[in-house]
Amino acid sequence: MSALTMRGAAAVVGVSELHYRRGEAPAGELRMTLEAILAACSDAGISPRELDGFVSYAGGGHDGAVIGGALGVDDVRWSNMMWGGGGGTVAAAINNAAVAIAAGQAECVVVYRSMAQADTGRLGYAKYHYGPHFLAHGVGSPAQVCALRTQRLLEHDGVPRETMRALVLAAYRHAQNNPTAQGYGKPLDEATYESSRLITEPFHLYDCSRESDGAVALVLVSADRAKSLRPDPAYVLAGAQGAPGGYSSIIDNDDQYATAGFAGATGRPGVADRLWAAAGLGPDDVDVVQVYENFSGPAVAALIDHGLAPSGPAAGEVLTVDNLTAGVGKLPVNTSGGNIADSFVNGMGLAVEAVRQIRGTSTNPVAHAKTSLFIGGPMAPLVSSTLFAHEDVL
Amino acid sequence: MTGEPWGPSADGLDQPYWDGLTRGELRLQRCGKCETWIWGPQWVCGSCHTLDPNWESVTPTGTVYSWSRSWYPFITELADRVPYVTVLVELPEAGHRRVLGILTGDDTDAIRIGDPVVGHIEHDEGATWPLLRWRRSTEGAQA
Repeated sequence: MSALTMRGAAAVVGVSELHYRRGEAPAGELRMTLEAILAACSDAGISPRELDGFVSYAGGGHDGAVIGGALGVDDVRWSNMMWGGGGGTVAAAINNAAVAIAAGQAECVVVYRSMAQADTGRLGYAKYHYGPHFLAHGVGSPAQVCALRTQRLLEHDGVPRETMRALVLAAYRHAQNNPTAQGYGKPLDEATYESSRLITEPFHLYDCSRESDGAVALVLVSADRAKSLRPDPAYVLAGAQGAPGGYSSIIDNDDQYATAGFAGATGRPGVADRLWAAAGLGPDDVDVVQVYENFSGPAVAALIDHGLAPSGPAAGEVLTVDNLTAGVGKLPVNTSGGNIADSFVNGMGLAVEAVRQIRGTSTNPVAHAKTSLFIGGPMAPLVSSTLFAHEDVL
Repeated sequence: MTGEPWGPSADGLDQPYWDGLTRGELRLQRCGKCETWIWGPQWVCGSCHTLDPNWESVTPTGTVYSWSRSWYPFITELADRVPYVTVLVELPEAGHRRVLGILTGDDTDAIRIGDPVVGHIEHDEGATWPLLRWRRSTEGAQA
């Protein structure tokens, strides 16, 4: 199956996202998952019984048999868990659903993720997620692994630290228009950002993602079916996943150390290159971006990897608060407030916002958005991106 | 400190590394056939695909490839050390492989990428395993 087989073959027709302050979920992960899937099916105008594909990522035991059984589906035809670290595979999960539909393996696929602190604790402090050759040297959290790579990006490559701050401040600016964002009503200024406590250098508190309880679901169907369901499907124009061999998986000995994993090895196309090639578009064609910010630095690296900003000191000319703000700048990023200022259910809420931009229903809408890029968790051992598009782009 | 969450893996892959530290040596893997240096520990050489790489002693001298100062006590066993600096050190003698370690000494504030560092092996009181740690080097320091 060539990349063209997948181009526009499937579309997101239903979305739902529930989020609560961490530790305050009204129910466990399974019930929240089911509630989100029901709401996404309702949004799509389909019966939950029609679901025949089930995809998730980053672990959890709620596979297609469990969810399909609970919902009384007619058939389970596709049940996949994406391998890879944490949120790196969130976009890959959406791509996987599109692949299943394009290849005729399933017709109606739901992609979902749920997190409740009471069930699985907190990702940021996922103790002993890393092996003994990290732990022995004081590195036991994704924050620290990403901090080491980000420090190289800043100090060696010369990307200004202010780019991280700009990403965070733009997210908070967007959140002021989003009543369901956890940062709503809490504007953030430069001084507060700069004076917040250090977590692991170069990250201050505000450089770190929130963690929320909640559940998110997206329902995908074929392009033909999508047209019959609603006027504004968000087509999966292209998707890519992976990383150069060894990236972030050989105890910090990978060659693309200060990238977010989307860049290719020398002379070879990377995840971002493959995404653009499959879409037949490039970074200049993107109207709006949702980039997973586990931490601000990796998100900056991910934007650079995708060619949305130059590397080195010049990154500071593109990654400014105004330029990242919807309605103001040319590169609107994280228009719901993102993982930092809206909510964090392992980054999947960003995919819902990417779909809202195609529908024109974001609280920070980008006028006439036809292409909406979703970049999954950066600096994970396996990363992924999805480019959504309006029907006009097909 | 006993029962720390590090030490040899149950499958024996990195036992020579820990045994080396106990003997006062930094040991890394090197393929017996194509002589490629390998780190982290692997069962197979990623260059020529020969199984079971050898272990060789390496002089712990290198330069800082990156660093981070941890302020939050992510690791309970190291909570009394925060803030501490972890350095990623490139070892020219071992094919530029990179190894991690905590930076010790009174001059960790000004650590920068490219700084020369020298490794030493410390055995903390009560700890099961000694660990590789680093100090800034005054010899050959870059201007």
